[in-house]
Amino acid sequence: MKISVNWVKQFTDVDIPIDELVEKIGRQLGAVEEVIDVGKKYQGIVVAKVVTCEKHADADKLSVCMIDDGGVTPDVSRNEQGYVQVVCGAPNVREGLNVAWLPPGSTVPNSYDKDPFVLEARELRGVISNGMIASSKELAIGDDHGGIVEIDIEAVPGTDFAKLYELNDYIIDIENKMFTHRPDCFGVLGVAREIAGIQGVEFKSPDWYQSPLDRIKPGKTRLELTVKNEAPELVPRFMAVALADVTIKPSPLIIQSYLSRVGLKPISNIVDVTNYLMMLTGQPIHAYDYDKVKALSREGVTLIARVVKTKEDVDLLNGKTAELENPAIVIATDVQAIGVAGVMGGADTEVGENTKNIILECATFDMYSIRRTSMKNGLFTDAVTRFNKGQSPLQNDVVLEEAVATIQYVSGAHVASDVFDIKSSAVTQLKTVELTAEFVNARLGLSLEPGTMAKLLENVEFSIEIRGDALKATPPYWRTDIEIKEDIVEEIGRLYGFDKLPMVLPKQSITPAKRNLLLSFKSKLRDILSEAGANEVLTYSFVHGKLLDKVGQERGTSFRLSNALSPDLQYYRLSLIPSLLDKVHANIKAGYDEFALYEVNKTHNKPHATDDEGVPKEFTMLALAIAANDKLNKTSAPYYSARKYLDTLAARLGFELKYEPLDAEPDFPITRPYDHTRSALVYEATTNDFIGLIGEFKSSVKKSLKLPSHSAGFELDAEALLKVCRPQKYKALSKYPGTHQDMSLKVSKDMSYHQLYSELQTGLRALADDNLQTELTPLDIYQKGDAKHFTFRLYAVHHQKTLQAVEINDLLDKLAAATNETLGSVRI
Amino acid sequence: MPYQNSRISEVAELLKKRLEGLENKADILKAVELRALYSEITTLPAEERASFGLEINQLKSELEELVNSHEPDSAKLDHIDVTAPYDVNSPAGKRPQLLSSELGSRHPLMTEMDVILDIFYRMGFDAVESRQIDDDYHMFGSLNFPEDHPARDDYDTFMTEEGLIAPAHTSTMQNRVLKQFKDGLEKGQDIRVVIPGRVFRNEDLDATHEHTFYQLEGVYVGKGIHAGHLIATLKTFLETYYKQDLKVKTQPYYFPFTEPSFEFAISRPESLRKGDNRTEDDWLELLGCGMVHPNVLKEAGIDPEIYTGFAWGVGIDRLVLMKYGIEDIRHFESAKLEFLRQFK
Repeated sequence: MKISVNWVKQFTDVDIPIDELVEKIGRQLGAVEEVIDVGKKYQGIVVAKVVTCEKHADADKLSVCMIDDGGVTPDVSRNEQGYVQVVCGAPNVREGLNVAWLPPGSTVPNSYDKDPFVLEARELRGVISNGMIASSKELAIGDDHGGIVEIDIEAVPGTDFAKLYELNDYIIDIENKMFTHRPDCFGVLGVAREIAGIQGVEFKSPDWYQSPLDRIKPGKTRLELTVKNEAPELVPRFMAVALADVTIKPSPLIIQSYLSRVGLKPISNIVDVTNYLMMLTGQPIHAYDYDKVKALSREGVTLIARVVKTKEDVDLLNGKTAELENPAIVIATDVQAIGVAGVMGGADTEVGENTKNIILECATFDMYSIRRTSMKNGLFTDAVTRFNKGQSPLQNDVVLEEAVATIQYVSGAHVASDVFDIKSSAVTQLKTVELTAEFVNARLGLSLEPGTMAKLLENVEFSIEIRGDALKATPPYWRTDIEIKEDIVEEIGRLYGFDKLPMVLPKQSITPAKRNLLLSFKSKLRDILSEAGANEVLTYSFVHGKLLDKVGQERGTSFRLSNALSPDLQYYRLSLIPSLLDKVHANIKAGYDEFALYEVNKTHNKPHATDDEGVPKEFTMLALAIAANDKLNKTSAPYYSARKYLDTLAARLGFELKYEPLDAEPDFPITRPYDHTRSALVYEATTNDFIGLIGEFKSSVKKSLKLPSHSAGFELDAEALLKVCRPQKYKALSKYPGTHQDMSLKVSKDMSYHQLYSELQTGLRALADDNLQTELTPLDIYQKGDAKHFTFRLYAVHHQKTLQAVEINDLLDKLAAATNETLGSVRI
Repeated sequence: MPYQNSRISEVAELLKKRLEGLENKADILKAVELRALYSEITTLPAEERASFGLEINQLKSELEELVNSHEPDSAKLDHIDVTAPYDVNSPAGKRPQLLSSELGSRHPLMTEMDVILDIFYRMGFDAVESRQIDDDYHMFGSLNFPEDHPARDDYDTFMTEEGLIAPAHTSTMQNRVLKQFKDGLEKGQDIRVVIPGRVFRNEDLDATHEHTFYQLEGVYVGKGIHAGHLIATLKTFLETYYKQDLKVKTQPYYFPFTEPSFEFAISRPESLRKGDNRTEDDWLELLGCGMVHPNVLKEAGIDPEIYTGFAWGVGIDRLVLMKYGIEDIRHFESAKLEFLRQFK
């Protein structure tokens, strides 16, 4: 919201320097995005009178003028009367005219911000021109470049042009977002009131804004007009009046000056007045060409507010066509829609050069309906910005009256119909809010007196009744945002100054906070893996459909975004591993030959569409991928490199894992990237809880993601992992020394390590007594032809005696005999 | 595939034969003969060039298809015993090893999140993790955002085809957390919870904007909790995090789920100014906060006449960017080892 400080000053004093004002606005009204010094563009520009004006001898279109600047401009060549010679090409330059003169050394204002054009005394076809006489375009006020600006305010030559038209101004741009709930602050009047309030000064709205002044008097011509409101539930108030005999011309320069400073283009006196009042009060007004409305009506001249009947098109002022559907609100004649209510007027009834009569509409539309229509059609106008904040219908009458009065003044029009005012029952005075000073103080941490609170609110035109500690606060009619007690708390806090609140920490009991188990566990996983040389990455939760294709996951099982930024981020990922694999190639190319990437994050999929709350189940996963550049010529299967990380994790977390080979390819999104012949399902060994899977990737996956041949990974359910974690266990130390002995067993090549190992463990449990503690570790796995040799080391310690070599040999003999019986293994 | 041009069919035959003997099938696409064909185009009469060029492209895609069909078959690899700790016949020194722990790293955002959580644990806050997919009710409805309200304009959310939402703020958990801890409130235990999580905004990427980032929500509800407590809590947290005194200020703001609402700013700590000699304050808007709106409390079954509270949401990425002077927010999700390995 762009605020002109000079405009504000018309309604309240601003005695503090601009920097302080901006600081204060930031602290007590809303964040300031930008402050623009408008005045610096206009330095040196003065009002000058054209004393003589003669045709240029060598150029048809140029005139040679002698101008009187009252002698105020230094360092410029003058004739004996003190006048300055300027050559001018405008058709409307003439003797006696007061103009805006840009003397040599001044900058053309509309070039100021881009490529500053500094004027000098220059020869034009042999005649010296000292600077130039400016058009409204050059003065950065309007688009008109057809002629020079004619000064329309009484001023002596030499008057500072900027001062005359209030261009010695600052524009403060306050973030719109701050005013989402403040419809009144989308008008200068509203912001001026707040600026008074935060300075602790009482604000008084102009008389015409407080209540109607009964100024609308019918003129000599009568124009037929019927106005109907057929959608009272969406159009709480609909006002209109016809005016006859308008003269369309540019609006007074001062109005153009206001509009241009706050970013609007002057168009014509009628349109400018509607815009001027909108910028002033926040209330949009629309003007229709009466005769065009008449031409589009069947019977008489009818203006109707109604909802769209199924579908209707409206050709808009911006040259586009809005395709509207029920229940958008339109303004229509009895034949067709002519405007999108509260959003944009229609091209068919636009006020133009030849307009003779107009209809002025000042209404209030449902903010939600306006926003829907605006979003659906991509129409974002100043009217939408204001209407969708919920403008007060109670200001329609005063603003319409001021608009009529101003239009009469600038266009010579007169009122030619009744003033139609169709109100729904929803238009009532705003409710009084009752609360206590204690309620306010408790929420702000203050101890303000009720009287102090009342004063703060009265400064911004609330009316307050105090009874003891109780306050009855009646908001002024434009404050539709004030509904509940907390709204009053906010007002008091803000006007008093939030920076004056006491900064104290809350007092609380010493109950210790509980650490979140899963969060802490995830942190532990990170510690373990990072200490094991792996690198944690974070990758996006959304992936490209092609990545799903590449790893063989079905797009249909993934939640798809309907408004993705790009195809790269269209699908919720089904598992983490594809995201990791997607990052391998780039890192290898960057010169990293061997690494392990891991991520702890969430995944989602449609087959698990909902949890208890009706929202999709979230899986907290841990994935890790190892990779080594082909040039390292790794010979061992990459599966085992990934497994080394998983075994380390299990060891550090204190549980044992079981790896189960896959006979056939399972059909889950998470298993898709893996080559099932070189992968295993992972279970916790004692509880048999499923944890996840580990393996090498399909060759198609490796190829499409440019993975090196030495690459593998795993993906685990972190919550399942947390569930199987056990507290650290401790075994008492034995007083007696332990001993170890190795044993090699020969088996057929199809025998798996796990089969043999678990058989040996079972055997050990059967053979050992309670006081014997054993530990079996693999030393070597050797394969030749059809035979496999496993070598284990058995460590044993007894808690009541020193073990003798014979005892441990005996144990191994028995163990070997037992497995020979069950598995056919041969001790060698 | 028959080629009209004899020159091309000649090369095609040659290359297909060579393909059979190649270990790395993809090398065929780099064959000099294939490249030579392209350079021959210019030597041809103009009218032949188009069809010649077309056929080269056909040959190239045929070769690509052949390469793809020659995927190395896993059956050719030796069988592995997935239940074994390492491969057969691997001598003790050649078995898979962990990488050096010196190479390992934790992601800086996750490390800092731990540091931040630890500060709040010490201040007595519990922690509940946020969701990455949610519904309209939790993201908006329960937070006093009426449908079609302009306040929704400021949240450019990603939506799924089912109408689910990728949360744009961790406040999506507020209603759940308030309900979860409400019982304690009646027993005199204030609700004090922080909610870390990943959030999403539908906005274009640049050095200072990410569509994916981390936030930490905080909620504190109890009897007699006021706006001064909010400002003091946030100031204490930030001073603890940056290990120095900070100047703070609030600016009024608007959020539908808090009233009053603030934007909270700190003056850039001196140690983080990096050769910036300016003397005036360099205000950094760090987070949005405010007193929990009575409608939000009511929605969770808490009486706003009896209990009041405050809430905030702080972007973790920005805190960390500033702490380390990281120049580009996009590094966080880049998975670049060059970046990651700096954070041991």
